[in-house]
Amino acid sequence: MHTLRGAKLAIFIGLLPALIIYLGIAIVPIGLSIYYSLMDWSGIGAMEFIGFRNYSRILTDDIFWLSVKNNVIIMITGLVGQIPLGLLLALLLNRGLKGSGFFRTVGFMPVVISSVMVSLIWGMIYNTEYGMLNNLLGVFGLESWQQNWLGDYRFSMLSISIAYIWQNCGLYMVIFLAALQNIPGEVNEAAELDGATGLKRTLYITIPMIRSTLMVGIVYSISNSFRVFDLIQILTGGGPAHQSEVMTIYMYNGAFMNMRFGYGSAVSVLILLFSLVVISLINRLGREKDA
Amino acid sequence: MNNKSLGFRVFAYVFLSLLAILNIVPLFWMVVNSFKTEQEYARNPFSFPETLQFSNYAEAWKIANMNVYFLNSLLVTFAALIITVLLGALSSYFLSRFQFKLRGLTYGLFLLGMLVPIHATLIPIFLIMQKLGFLDTHLALILPYTAFHLSLTIIILEGFMRGFPKDLEESGVMDGAGIYRIFWSIILPITRPAMATVIILNFIYNWNEYLFALVLVSSSDLKTLPLGLANFVGIETANLTLQMSALTMALIPIIIFYLLLQKQLVTGMTAGAVKG
Repeated sequence: MHTLRGAKLAIFIGLLPALIIYLGIAIVPIGLSIYYSLMDWSGIGAMEFIGFRNYSRILTDDIFWLSVKNNVIIMITGLVGQIPLGLLLALLLNRGLKGSGFFRTVGFMPVVISSVMVSLIWGMIYNTEYGMLNNLLGVFGLESWQQNWLGDYRFSMLSISIAYIWQNCGLYMVIFLAALQNIPGEVNEAAELDGATGLKRTLYITIPMIRSTLMVGIVYSISNSFRVFDLIQILTGGGPAHQSEVMTIYMYNGAFMNMRFGYGSAVSVLILLFSLVVISLINRLGREKDA
Repeated sequence: MNNKSLGFRVFAYVFLSLLAILNIVPLFWMVVNSFKTEQEYARNPFSFPETLQFSNYAEAWKIANMNVYFLNSLLVTFAALIITVLLGALSSYFLSRFQFKLRGLTYGLFLLGMLVPIHATLIPIFLIMQKLGFLDTHLALILPYTAFHLSLTIIILEGFMRGFPKDLEESGVMDGAGIYRIFWSIILPITRPAMATVIILNFIYNWNEYLFALVLVSSSDLKTLPLGLANFVGIETANLTLQMSALTMALIPIIIFYLLLQKQLVTGMTAGAVKG
C-alpha cells in the first residue's frame, strides 16, 4: 500500500520494541524451560546436565500424580459445572425477560474481581470457626453439617471447586449469550412453524446453532483448568498434606520453595504438554462430530 | 412449555434470583461485617453493625500498607498498559496497513502468545529478571505484563485497523506526511473505540495479576494490591473484621469501575477468552 521510501526501515523500527519484549519474555522462555528441564540446578552455581532424570523423578512421584488428579477434578468442574450453568443462564437471559440486564450485570461481576480477592472472600466463607457457611448452618440448626471446609481433605477440593464455579461461570454466560443473540430471528420463526417450541426448540435448534461457540467455551475452560493457581494457592496452599495441590502449585513449590529450578522447569514443560494434548484431542473430537 | 408461559417465567426468575443472591451475598456480608467490632462479629456474623466502625478502615489502611499497595498497583498497571497499548498499536498499524515479506510470520508469532500459559515461562522469566538485575523492581512486573498482553492487544487492534478503507492514508501521503505522522494523526484517532477496549482489558488484567508479582517481587514496598492483600490476610488471621475492611477497600473501586464500563469490559473480556 505504502510506496514511501524508507518504509522498510520504518516498519522494522516500529515492530522492533514490541518484538523484543514479546519474544524475550513470552516466547524465548519456553525454549529455556525445556533447556532447564534437562538440568539439575538450584539457581546458583553450575548447572548439571542430567538428561530426562527430572522427568522420571516427577513421573514416579505420587504427589505429582495427586496434583494431576486434582487438575482433572478442576477440569471436570469446569466442564460439568461452569459450562452447563453458564449455558443455562445464557438461555434464560436470551428470552428478553424484564430485569435481564440486572442479572447479567450481577452474573458477570465475579469475573471482574481478581482471583486473589475471590479466594480471600471465599476463605472467609469457609473459615471453620467464624466463617459464613458454618455460621449459616448453625443458624438452621445443622451443626452436624459444619465442617473444616478447607482443612479437611474430604472437602478441600469440593470447596475449591465451588469457588471456582462461582468465579468463572459468568464469563461463559456472556460468551454463550452473545452467540445466542446472533442467531437470526428467521431460524426461530421457521422452528415455530414446524412446531418446535420451548424445550424442544432449545435442545434441537438453539443449542446446535451455537455449537462452535460451545466448543470455544469448552476449549477455554480446559486450558483455564490447567492454569489454576491463585485460587488454590490462597485458599489451601495445596493442603492439607498436598491433597488439593494442582500441577502449577507443584511446580511453584518445586522451583521457588525448594529452589530446584530444573525440576520445576520439567513440571512446567509437562503442564504445557498435557494441556496441548488435551486441547488438541478435544478439538479433534469436535471436528469429527462436525463431519 | 411455551416460551413465555407462567411456568417458564417462574422458573427463570427463581433460578436467576438464586444466582444473583449467591453472587451478591458473600460480598454484601463482607462489607456489612467490615463495619463491626471483632466481638460484635464473633457474637453474630449476620446482624447489622450497632455503630459503623469506620476506625476499622483507618486501621486496616495503616496496618495493611494499603496506600503503598494501591500506588504500586497503579504505577505498574498504567506503565505496562501505556507501553502495551502504544507498542501494540504501532505494531498493529504496520501489520494491518503495510505489506512486507515477514508480515505473516510476525503476526503468527504474536498469535502464538495466546496459547502460552504463563506458568511455562515463569522460571526462566524469574532467572532473566535476576540476571538483568530487575528482580524486586517495578520493571520486573511491567515487562512481563507488557509481553503477555501484547498478543491480545495486537489481535484486537490489527483486526480493527484492517477494516479501514484502503485509500485512507492517501491524503496524508499527498500532504507529504511520513509513515509515523500518518499513524499518529490519521490512524490512531479513528482507532479509538478499539483502543478503549484494549485499554480497559489491559487495565483489569494488570490490576488483578498475582502470580508474577508473587514470584518477581518480594520487598513489601513494591508489592501490588493483590499480593499485599494476600499477605495481609495471611498475617492478620485473628482479625477478621480488619481483613474485611481491607478487602472492601480494594473491592469498591473495581465494582465502580465495572458498573461504569460494563459494556466494554464484558465485550473485551469475552473477546479475550474467545480469541485465546
